[in-house]
Amino acid sequence: MTITHVSGSERFNFVQRSPAELLAAASNLAIHTIDERAIEAVDPLTFEVIRHRLAAITEDMGDALKRMSGSVVVTDCNDFSAAIADETGDLVLVGVYNTQLAASLDMAIKWTLEHRCERPGIKPGDMFLCNDPWVGGGLHQNDVSLFAPLFHDGKLFAWTGAVCHQVDLGGVSPGSWSVSGRDVFWESTPVPPVKIIEGGELRPDIEDMYLRRSRVPKLIALDLRAKLGANNVAQERLDQLIGKYGPDTVKAVMKRMMADAEKRLRAKLSSLPNGTWGAVAHQDGARAGDDGIYKIVLQMSKQGDSLTFDFTGTDKQVEGFINCTFAGLRGGIMPIVLTMLCNDIPWVPGGIYRCLNIISEQGTINNCTFPAGVGKASVASAWATQNAVSETIASMLVTHPQHCRGAMSVCEGTWDLTVLAGVDQRGGPFVTMLCDSMSGGLGARTDRDGVDTGGQSCIPMGRIADVEINEFSFPMLYLWRREEVDSGGPGRFRGGLGASSCFIPHDSPAGRVHLVVSSPGKALPLAHGLCGGYPANNSYDVLVRATDVHQQFAAGRIPRNLQDIVGQHDELPSHAETDLDPGDVYYTHWQGGGGYGDPLLRDPHEVVHDIHRQRVSAHAADMIYGVVCDADGTLDDAATQTRRNQLREVRAGDRKAG
Amino acid sequence: MAYVMGIDTGGTFTDGFLADEAGILFAAKSPSTPHDFSLGFLNVVDELAAVVGISTPELLGNTDYIVHGTTSTLNALVTGNVSKVGFMTTQGHADSISIMNVEGRYAGLDAEEIQNMANTSKPPALVPRQLIEEINERIDYKGAEIVCLDEGGVRQATRRLIDKGVEALAVSFLWSFSNPAHEHRVRDIIGEIAPDLYVALSSDVSPRIREFPRSATTIVNTQVAPILRGYLYPLEDELRGRGFDGSLLVMQGSGGCVRAREAPRHAVTTLGSVLTGGLVGCANLGRILNHDNVISTDIGGTTFLVGLLVDGKPVSTNTVVINQYLISSSMVDVHTIGAGGGAIAWLDQGGNLRVGPDSAGAHPGPACYDEGGERPTLTDADLVLGIINPDYFLGGKKPLSVASAKASIKKHIADPLGMSVSDAAAAIYAIQNAQAADLVRKVVVNSGRDPRDFVLYAFGGAGPMHCASYAADLGVIEVLVPLGSTAAVFSAYGLASSDIVLTRERSQPENFPPDPQQLQDIFSDLERELSAYLDEQGLSFTDVTYEREVDVRYTMQLAEVTTPVPAGELDAEKVDSIGQSFEALYAELYGKDAGYRDAGMQLITYRMRVRGRLPIRPELPHAERKPASAQARGSRDVFLDIRRGFERTAIYDYLDLGPGDTLKGPAVVEAPTTTVAIPFGCDARVDELGNLRITYVATVNGSEKEKLA
Repeated sequence: MTITHVSGSERFNFVQRSPAELLAAASNLAIHTIDERAIEAVDPLTFEVIRHRLAAITEDMGDALKRMSGSVVVTDCNDFSAAIADETGDLVLVGVYNTQLAASLDMAIKWTLEHRCERPGIKPGDMFLCNDPWVGGGLHQNDVSLFAPLFHDGKLFAWTGAVCHQVDLGGVSPGSWSVSGRDVFWESTPVPPVKIIEGGELRPDIEDMYLRRSRVPKLIALDLRAKLGANNVAQERLDQLIGKYGPDTVKAVMKRMMADAEKRLRAKLSSLPNGTWGAVAHQDGARAGDDGIYKIVLQMSKQGDSLTFDFTGTDKQVEGFINCTFAGLRGGIMPIVLTMLCNDIPWVPGGIYRCLNIISEQGTINNCTFPAGVGKASVASAWATQNAVSETIASMLVTHPQHCRGAMSVCEGTWDLTVLAGVDQRGGPFVTMLCDSMSGGLGARTDRDGVDTGGQSCIPMGRIADVEINEFSFPMLYLWRREEVDSGGPGRFRGGLGASSCFIPHDSPAGRVHLVVSSPGKALPLAHGLCGGYPANNSYDVLVRATDVHQQFAAGRIPRNLQDIVGQHDELPSHAETDLDPGDVYYTHWQGGGGYGDPLLRDPHEVVHDIHRQRVSAHAADMIYGVVCDADGTLDDAATQTRRNQLREVRAGDRKAG
Repeated sequence: MAYVMGIDTGGTFTDGFLADEAGILFAAKSPSTPHDFSLGFLNVVDELAAVVGISTPELLGNTDYIVHGTTSTLNALVTGNVSKVGFMTTQGHADSISIMNVEGRYAGLDAEEIQNMANTSKPPALVPRQLIEEINERIDYKGAEIVCLDEGGVRQATRRLIDKGVEALAVSFLWSFSNPAHEHRVRDIIGEIAPDLYVALSSDVSPRIREFPRSATTIVNTQVAPILRGYLYPLEDELRGRGFDGSLLVMQGSGGCVRAREAPRHAVTTLGSVLTGGLVGCANLGRILNHDNVISTDIGGTTFLVGLLVDGKPVSTNTVVINQYLISSSMVDVHTIGAGGGAIAWLDQGGNLRVGPDSAGAHPGPACYDEGGERPTLTDADLVLGIINPDYFLGGKKPLSVASAKASIKKHIADPLGMSVSDAAAAIYAIQNAQAADLVRKVVVNSGRDPRDFVLYAFGGAGPMHCASYAADLGVIEVLVPLGSTAAVFSAYGLASSDIVLTRERSQPENFPPDPQQLQDIFSDLERELSAYLDEQGLSFTDVTYEREVDVRYTMQLAEVTTPVPAGELDAEKVDSIGQSFEALYAELYGKDAGYRDAGMQLITYRMRVRGRLPIRPELPHAERKPASAQARGSRDVFLDIRRGFERTAIYDYLDLGPGDTLKGPAVVEAPTTTVAIPFGCDARVDELGNLRITYVATVNGSEKEKLA
């Protein structure tokens, strides 16, 4: 079955609209605008004070969201975002949370202005809920945004918005990660912007329609209130700010912030050489049972003071759940642009986007059309896009003596998904995405190793829950959670290590626990190196059936590795869905970061140090780094020199490795 | 004559405060001695004796107790000069302290540092991998034993670590707070092998859910305990040798003190020792003046510190970040930003004016010191604006160069921005006030309060020059600058007037409502432990009070809210009131309707605190009355308000002022230790204790206040 076009779905697709076009589309609304002169007229002092306040308000939104949410994903893993936008939806500021999510909130606001002005109307006290990845506001259906117009004196002044990952919104598989899905109808139904808060009141009919689809409606209701609270905090504080400085001044600062960020990014781009850098990112498997390999092709060109991302040559959208919409494509670009290129520039997407051009063909895996499956978009094609963008931007940055300090090799090449569902130890239903794989390795830097278990590019403040919090919340018991030797990409500077978790179901009254697994990067490495650095490890997930773990416990032993466990070992494919029985063990080993530079140029003492700290095995030291140690573990300089020369000869094709 | 003494060891000065039983107060200052802080301590004791006019042995012989604020443990951590510690943990979880929940890469950094992701790194490992031993043992979430303790493995591990030269051992097993049996047994086994080795158990040091902060806290405690012991024990012996036979007490981060002999057992509680005195001083001053809600602001040379008193009590936190590690310890919640008097003004790449967080420090100091400081600082701006008198800085001890200040601001700020030097200085002043106000607001609002219910206290060298401006922006009731006899050593005063405070806690997650008897049993256990611990202090108290609290959350939520537990035997009604208090607190913090009752509630961590009041509490004397009413010494052009610019401003000498004197802004009051700026629209009155009280004239609808911001 191929993906059949759905007539009538076109109006949900992204169309670039200028502020003037949006103002015209929303002509029945009184909208607060200011002219260029007012923007120029803001003095540096007022600018700094109000800019500071806007940043504080964005932080307050994040704090409110985090403290009120019920999802471990939000409270412990920072998988959410908060933003302030101007009257036509251009983002003035995003917090340092999930930068993918922040990349497309503007799309949803602009779509709402264009399509919701007449009926049901946009009025003070309204808030819109959206989880339609074609419209924006999120990358897949689990990303639910709640955004609100802010009115001053009867005029639409600005927007505030909060978005976070929701644990389950229905679809075939728990967690809404439908690994067998072939198109969007297998997944959670997307909801285009609906007015869920009307004149300050939560509409129970709309809320019910929204919650009805979920396996954990109470949790989703709690998170809806968290987003409501975050918007309320922002609106109250913005009201005070406008009351104090006047609407024109506050607006002028918003516009000036965008101009400022644009100016600074253009200046930085101008200081870099013109050129074109290319990268190809792969994904293995579009759904359970599929062993195809899919590619995203990127040619990034820098000319003068702008950047063009050209994705021509990317594969067509596929049957499966790994496609992403244009929101996902932007969500793949923005995290890298922010963390590597705008590391010293305020995170004002409204200004930053003006420096970027995107060329992409609709109907490809990272710009798909309805009804292609997008259930895993955020961590599938959006993430793969991010890997390609990471390679091209880092390759550009390393040409500059200062800007190179913002560059990293690819960080954690993919999201190794583990969803658990079933009956928890207190007898209630549960679904959770285990966020342990948020402790991926960061890519190596141009002057230092990457950070071991440092996180991932798109969530600068990613974090994982303590083992005790996971065991308290869910029916599981860990055998270990540890950093994995050799998982960092080798290089003159080594990529950060990834890690693994190994656990058994524990104390569920139902006995068994449902398991959904999804991770590309099993057939080929995804976290590429930079400037001759090697890639990080492949993902590696193993299910061991009918084990002797409980006998070992009774004998006073905890297995130390997979070899210690007797049972039937199954290496899992990219996508799988199954049950864990009481005697089963699940092991998931996610990816590290890519290396930088030739590993044969790494300081041999650093390699020895890594061996002692269990970062690199003696085998890898010999085979990849060409470093040889004595029996007592100290460096053998002469043997190392010989071995390195030997490896160089192998590269040149003169002899075989051994 | 009986005395009590407070000794506060700061980065630059060691401050001493002394009170006798008749209520006479004495103060002294001496340079700190970082190579051995106890020298500065002993020097300031000599200074105090000299001020009183008696010999050191006579003073010490009559001193009932000394309360000491020490940097010993914090300094050891910051400089990495700590004991070599071995660590034992559950098989499979050695990497917990290097994974650091990922958070260790950015904990404690600000947003701008975090966004520069390639520049963030984790701190060095707390314990090197070869000094970590994994032990076969396992307890589950219910406290049930899943795998028994491998005692042979513990013995081997202990010997291996001792062979590697560890000076102390930290032990942290999964779920030990719920069932500490395995940890207890490990301590016994180690005791058999090495009876003198310092051993800390996580179930003792930090019996709280979340293994990473629990382990980190236990390790840090173990690293600094021998250091603290090595500092306090000889110091106490030295004091004894000089005639002291009272009690040496050490301030803890919690705002209460503990006997020096006992402090190393829970060394981690002293990490905030030196940050706390000022807030305790505010609490005592607030009690005298009937101020229940106080914002304490302290602007020193490098930092701006903010703490809160609500209902007369310091607001506390249960987790702090040090060196990017999360440390679980009950501490007074003091927030800091790098915005002290030495904060450097600079332009970022976009040409935006910024102040701090880098500081010129004491050396080379601000440009106006003429000691090699090139870059303009807040102090330079204050000088150019006429707020600081160049001939009367630190009571005239430090002459300042206006020309150097101007030249520096011109070169680095005014010329690049195309502004005049005085406008640039005004901009630095205004930005400092705005960021100070933002931090204060964040601290107050995040605690669920409204700044308009607070009086703001401002101390530290630079605080009083700015407080009236940043406070106006917050809408506080009143601003108070402590200028009485304790002004110069306000933190040391706070130390001398503190209580003994001891804390114990335990995690045991339960769904709400719990069985009242079970809850009562937990608190009875905690009370028994605390009571025994209080007895070990060997002190007499005029009053002993117990407080208890529990961290509560909505089920599924992970942010807990600390909720008071009523006194007396717990019954169903009292248990129900805990739920109601939690919901009220939650609504206060996050807004009405933010809570989600359907989710249910859970009790997570139970905590109990005992406060023993010490017999002598120094009373602040009334200020000396002056015959004539306030006369200005002169006037100069000063800039205090961006909407008014420079204007002729009356200059007063604090020593001319007496209780009841009232000044109208704009005015500047010069005191030996600081300068107080009183902008237009403010009145300042000297109170009975000699403090300056600043109020805003028009507070009807806030319109006048707005103009002052």
